[in-house]
Order: sequence, then C-alpha cells, then structure tokens
Amino acid sequence: MERDELVRFVLPIVVVLIAVVTFLVLGGLASQNPDGFEWALFEVANVTEPEGVFEGIWAPLGEGPLVDALVGTIGIVLVFVLAMLVFYLMARRE
Amino acid sequence: MHVGDGIVPLWLLLVMYVVSGAMLVLSARRIRARFDDRLVPYMGVLAAVIYAAQYVNFPVSVSSGHLIGATMIAVMVGPYAGALIMALVLFVQVLGGDGGILTYGLNTFNMAVFSCFVGWALSAYLYRVLAQRLTEERAVLVATSVASYVTTVAAALVLGIELFTVPGFGIVPFTAIVGIHALIGIGEAVLTFVILLYFVRARPNLISFLSGNEVSEIAQVGGAPWATPEAAAPTTS
Repeated sequence: MERDELVRFVLPIVVVLIAVVTFLVLGGLASQNPDGFEWALFEVANVTEPEGVFEGIWAPLGEGPLVDALVGTIGIVLVFVLAMLVFYLMARRE
Repeated sequence: MHVGDGIVPLWLLLVMYVVSGAMLVLSARRIRARFDDRLVPYMGVLAAVIYAAQYVNFPVSVSSGHLIGATMIAVMVGPYAGALIMALVLFVQVLGGDGGILTYGLNTFNMAVFSCFVGWALSAYLYRVLAQRLTEERAVLVATSVASYVTTVAAALVLGIELFTVPGFGIVPFTAIVGIHALIGIGEAVLTFVILLYFVRARPNLISFLSGNEVSEIAQVGGAPWATPEAAAPTTS
C-alpha cells in the first residue's frame, strides 16, 4: 500500500468511524434496550443475570454517554492497531 | 449476541475454546504464506469498521441488535482472514466487558468461525446464481445482504441450541431468540448492503468476489476458487 493510500483512504475512515460513533452515542441514538440474547435469556426465560463478573478494563472510568463515546473511540483505535499488528506479523515481505 | 461469563456451563466453554482456537490457528496458517503486506492497513480499517458497527445498537421492538458483519467481511477478504478479523474485534470487546473472558471461545465460534464460513458459503452460492443475471457489483451486494440475513438467524439458532445447557432455558426462549434475530437480521442485511456499497464504489479491489481484486490469494477456500467471477460466468460452449 502506498503511503498516500493510508493518508487518503484508511485514516479518514477511522476518523469518520470515531465521529459517527461519538455522534450516535452522545446524541442518544444508540438503543439501551437489551440485545436479542439478553432479552430472550433474562426476560423471557427469567434466568438470573450473573453478578460480579468482569466488567471490562474501562469500568473504572464510570458510566455515561461521555465515557461510552470515549471507550468507543479507544476501542476503534485499539482494534485498528491490533489488526494491523497481527496481520503485519503474518504477512510475507516483498 | 455476546454471551457473558457465568451463564453457560464450563465444559461447553472449554469445548468452544478448543474448536475456535483450532479454527483460528488453521485460518492463520492458511493465509500466513499468502498475505501481502500491502494489505495490512486494510485489515486494520476493516476491523475498525466492524467494531464501530457493533458498538452501536439499533432498536428492535422490545429488544435491540447490532451488525455482526461476519458475512460481509468473509465476502471481502475470505472466511479465513474474516474469522481472524472478527476474533480480534471480539477480543477488544472482551477488554471492554462486552462478552465474557471464559465465553470468548463460544462467542468467537458463533460470530467469527460459524458466521464467516456459513456466510461466505451462502454468499458464494447466491453470487454464482445472481451473477448470471446481474452485474458483478449488484450480484455481490444482493448475495451478501441476503446471506447476512440468513447467517444472523442461523447464528441465533446455534446460540439457542447452546443455551439449552442453561437451566431454565427452554423452547419458548429458544423461539424468542431465533424470532427476534429474524427481525435483527433485517438491520444486518441493510447495514451490510450500505457498508459493502461503499467499498464496492470506493475500493472494489478489496472484495474477493469481484474481478481484478487483490485479495483472491487469501480468500481461496480449499484451493478451489469456485466463488470467483470467472467461475460464476456463464459457459458459452
């Protein structure tokens, strides 16, 4: 990939993804309903939701739309870098 | 569809870790010698697209859903690279507490391994049929969208079967989880169409089903490129 392609195509997509996720989360447009799995298990089957399980490394940041937007941004950047690193290690060099 | 810890029995989680782990190792071995380093940033951006699309839930009746994206990613870069990308996305989600640590193998099986391979196979079959009548671009968009819908419902069916190991889970919630994903699947198909349309227009070289793509080497399955446009083209003899 040309350096230009990284600057013109790849990085702008990452920035747009962060902007869209931030807009949707801060704008309250993301649904807070339980997802299909949670709804069927905890509300239809009435299975008790387990407590005290791992809540994620970002849990100390607290809750709220701002934290959700920040965590979304961190996640997008993290997965972008991690995927590039993993595939870079697997790639053949020419 | 991200199952948390403390719900499914440990024996099933261990089985799923082994199955998913074996498939991911196989996937890595399949593409290791074929992967061109020029594609590396594209893998990063595809992972970011899937993560972002899964981060925001859309409302569905009393419930909600989000894109899985496995079918779309498998059509773009093949099921092996697709499964690896999905597994990386799921790993970062686990760090954020979305899906459990012990259930990572099970979630990876449902949303990465099963969904990528089934979604790819369905898309390839539909593409082969549709490419006889439509342009390559339209055929890949329709085939992938329809396959993503079917795959979402099929993945919910698999999850429902797995949940029969949970005390209290019976046929009514099983019907509910499959039924609600029949609705969520519509959102999956629409989002798949929209995102894939962008890539069809902007970077068709990243879609393994289209002519002139740069990913066919890693997208081949079993050495038989039967999903390629050449294979889908009508015979004239």
